[in-house]
Amino acid sequence: MSFLIRETLVYAVPLMIVALAGVFAERSGIINLALEGIMIFGAFIGAFFIYEMQMNEVFVLQSGAANWGTMQMFVLLTMLVAGIAGAIFSLLLAFAAINLKADQTIGGTALNLLAPAFVLFFIRIIANQDDLRMYRGDAASWFMLKKSFFGLKEADGFFVNTFLNKVYITTYVCLLLFVLLSILLYKTKFGLRLRACGENPQAAASLGINVFHMRYAGVIISGFLAGMGGFVYALTTSNCVANGDVAGFGFLALAVMIFGNWKPLNIAGAALLFGLFKCMAASYSTLDLDGNGQYLLLNLSKDPVWGKILNANFYRLLPYLVSLIVLAFTSKKSRAPKAEGIPYDPGKR
Amino acid sequence: MKKIIALALSLLMVFAIVACTAAPANSGSDKYEIAMVTDVGALMDKSFNQGTWEGCEAYAKEHGLTYKYYQPANGSEATDDDRYDAMKAAVQGGAKVIVTPGFLQGNALEKAAKEFPEVKFIFIDGWSMGLDNVSGIAYKEEQSGYLAGYAAVMEGYTKLGFCGGGGGTNPACCRYGYGFVQGAEAAAEAKGVDVEIKYTWQYGASFSASPELQTMVGGWYEKGTEIVFSAGGSIFNSITAAAAANDAKVIGVDVDQSYESDTVVTSALKGLTASVKWALAKVYDGTWAEISGANSASLGAESDAVGLPTATWSLKNWTVAEYEALLASIKSGAVVVDNTLLEADAIAAQPFKHVTIQYV
Repeated sequence: MSFLIRETLVYAVPLMIVALAGVFAERSGIINLALEGIMIFGAFIGAFFIYEMQMNEVFVLQSGAANWGTMQMFVLLTMLVAGIAGAIFSLLLAFAAINLKADQTIGGTALNLLAPAFVLFFIRIIANQDDLRMYRGDAASWFMLKKSFFGLKEADGFFVNTFLNKVYITTYVCLLLFVLLSILLYKTKFGLRLRACGENPQAAASLGINVFHMRYAGVIISGFLAGMGGFVYALTTSNCVANGDVAGFGFLALAVMIFGNWKPLNIAGAALLFGLFKCMAASYSTLDLDGNGQYLLLNLSKDPVWGKILNANFYRLLPYLVSLIVLAFTSKKSRAPKAEGIPYDPGKR
Repeated sequence: MKKIIALALSLLMVFAIVACTAAPANSGSDKYEIAMVTDVGALMDKSFNQGTWEGCEAYAKEHGLTYKYYQPANGSEATDDDRYDAMKAAVQGGAKVIVTPGFLQGNALEKAAKEFPEVKFIFIDGWSMGLDNVSGIAYKEEQSGYLAGYAAVMEGYTKLGFCGGGGGTNPACCRYGYGFVQGAEAAAEAKGVDVEIKYTWQYGASFSASPELQTMVGGWYEKGTEIVFSAGGSIFNSITAAAAANDAKVIGVDVDQSYESDTVVTSALKGLTASVKWALAKVYDGTWAEISGANSASLGAESDAVGLPTATWSLKNWTVAEYEALLASIKSGAVVVDNTLLEADAIAAQPFKHVTIQYV
């Protein structure tokens, strides 16, 4: 069970944080289709930062269990760097969509095409190969939190095993950010103004809100979160390797955002649901759901009758199937921000 | 004003494009005699492509020849046409020998070899196709896998895993897997222990790393699997990530991967670099006919093309002397490793005495 929860969070957290990135942009009135591209860019900058730091031996002496605190600072710093890179990258979208009043869908698509090409170009130059790996070691041995760090080597409780063992600090930082930014969006003056610009920018402008500034803020926050989410994805699910690809997580995050009806709480639920089934599909062969020492899903897949349907392929289909079913029941209430995708024109009423 | 700038810029662009396309045609001196067309995955994959490339590089440098690599378009999704285009580009680039690792290149290679009979092709992991300008070089991966499986069990591991690339259709990976199981069985027999092996082809079909594979293998380690044999290029990344999280171990493949990750105990080698050099030498010393056309090479222990890297392994309970003895008995034919290409569930159904295979 600990394993399932831990791994579910590994899938859900990047989705959640990047979906929230989408919310910030769309709530301010800009469709951010470029989430995938920004993630790819953020993952690259994060991996490159770690690569450079390792190559210049900045943190070498601190690697290993004894100095885990320093390593966590290293991760936090890299998250910040990846986030800033994402924010800068997203300025391209902001400039095209806000200043030039370009079609936002096309602008986003352009960034999605640009990012992998740009990233691969530089990876080729830096590493002379198609992927940029850590300069030395594995992500887990450098950055993962283990229970032995907290002097809990012998402890075998559910809480310790689930939340303090074999986890990355990024998970908790993202969860915290998710909560804080949701509060920012719903409970502060800034959040209200931002949302107003996505619903009726002319009305917001008539009350003295600078729509341009608000939209820029929305896109920059969005870029920061997506860039950071890209690095979190690379760190937790691909051994800190940047290869111009985040396995479509940016598009999945877009889907999660729509699935979650542009509301943080629903998004968290949608991401967790999706992550849970994704994780079950991948680990069904060792999943002991009811704790009786039997791997139910594996046994079903081996069963001569059930195995025809309930096999690996079916399990892999499940996350998408479940999402579709839930959408069928909830999509009626779905409501996008009214002014999203429409360039702001002060003269229009 | 704007129009003039736009005009100037577009002229510049046109000029740049012309300059780019024209450049290679003009520079006749830039001919590359030895070419390599890569298999799926990165050139520097620290595995299959890289081993081949290092062979080309070493031979070319020793003999003062020019060399270059060509990557088919579309990466892991490269089609036969993409591969053929890369080979054609190599020929146009002046290649006299083209080294093509990976059995997936077969169709493209056949087309290219028929079209350019004056160019010699070295087909690693392949067959000669009866063409006089093609030399197929296959390996006895089952022997290498056997050694790895034997070593793992002798070292004291009893819960093993195998992750293969190519989705179960790549002959080399299939031989690695079956050899691994046979080696584990033999060692379990010798030690009198029972061994469990989890065996899968899932998620490695395109030889690339994936979060799902990492989760799956993470689940294995979590439930007691101690060491996993990663037989498939970049899937190595996902497996070491899972192993590092669980303080568990990995067996590398093709080349010595112990430099890649601290989790690697040993690697099932195939002497790519050495045999590429060996085959290239045959191109230039006039003995090409020995390995081309109707002849092709299948290199195993007897030609030192398979083995484990004793210098860098971190095995403690199984000594180099014991390894040498086992290798010698494979060489002499006293130990024969079956190389039948079996489907994974057919392997699971084999009557092993000490090994239980759980096919995932």
